[in-house]
Amino acid sequence: MIVPQIVFWVMAVIAVLAGIGVIASRQPIRSVLSLVAVMLALSVIFLLLSAQFVFAVQVIVYAGAVMVLFLFVVALLGPIRERTSRRLRFQWPLSILIVAVFGVFVYAEAQGIGFRAPDKVDMTFFGTVEQIAIGLFTTYLFPFELTSILLLVAAVGAIYLSRGGRTASEIRRQEEEEEYNVA
Amino acid sequence: MPDYGQIQVGAGTLDARLVLGLAFILFLLGAVGVLIRRNPIVILVCIELMLNAANLTLITFAAQLHNLEGQLFTLMTMTVAAAEAVVGLAILIDIYRVRDVDDIDELSELKG
Repeated sequence: MIVPQIVFWVMAVIAVLAGIGVIASRQPIRSVLSLVAVMLALSVIFLLLSAQFVFAVQVIVYAGAVMVLFLFVVALLGPIRERTSRRLRFQWPLSILIVAVFGVFVYAEAQGIGFRAPDKVDMTFFGTVEQIAIGLFTTYLFPFELTSILLLVAAVGAIYLSRGGRTASEIRRQEEEEEYNVA
Repeated sequence: MPDYGQIQVGAGTLDARLVLGLAFILFLLGAVGVLIRRNPIVILVCIELMLNAANLTLITFAAQLHNLEGQLFTLMTMTVAAAEAVVGLAILIDIYRVRDVDDIDELSELKG
């Protein structure tokens, strides 16, 4: 059967094209929407690789919630055009060079590495919610509980950073007024 | 010796090397984006792209080794990515409240 490979190739092409769109589009909103396309294409590949629960989480939490947060911020801050002038000279060619060197190293490392024989487990229920839950609530219970603390810290930090109150520009204006009054 | 790189997908097979190659390309695209783009939001988006590529390798090896731990780690990665995105965007909003930033190189007040 050739069907899985057709699905994989279609999704891989979509993911790579959308990935190019992420880094090539001028407007941030197009980058964010391209990343949503990448995530949806990857979620189909997750489904191919029998990761049903991760597929659902990827679509709902990642492409749904996290990217909507990005869209909110882009909409809140308004359209920001990147300037054409650069502080850093040769930023483009240097970036490409650094990433190319890194890529060549990783590719060279990956050569001649074989795959280990897969474990002998029943693949019928692989990746189902039940199996994930058994792993998450027995062996990995402690890291799972730690992620809840991480999320709490992140939420408190985000609220603290984006809370209301005086902004720096208001403080500066007030200081200027005080200086004016003194003078 | 059988080729363990072939992952059973339903009735057919899928070569794990292809999927790893896709993750590799996506990761390099994200790395290029972080280096060449100067809009802070787009840089955060490119970091998310790299995290997604890393997730894909975890899922691939989970399927190849018939080991569920890769998928569990993917869920952890997603949590960390969500927390990172939230804090990063909050910092950005806090900066934008003070002034407009259209180039991340302008945020260099902390340099010694």
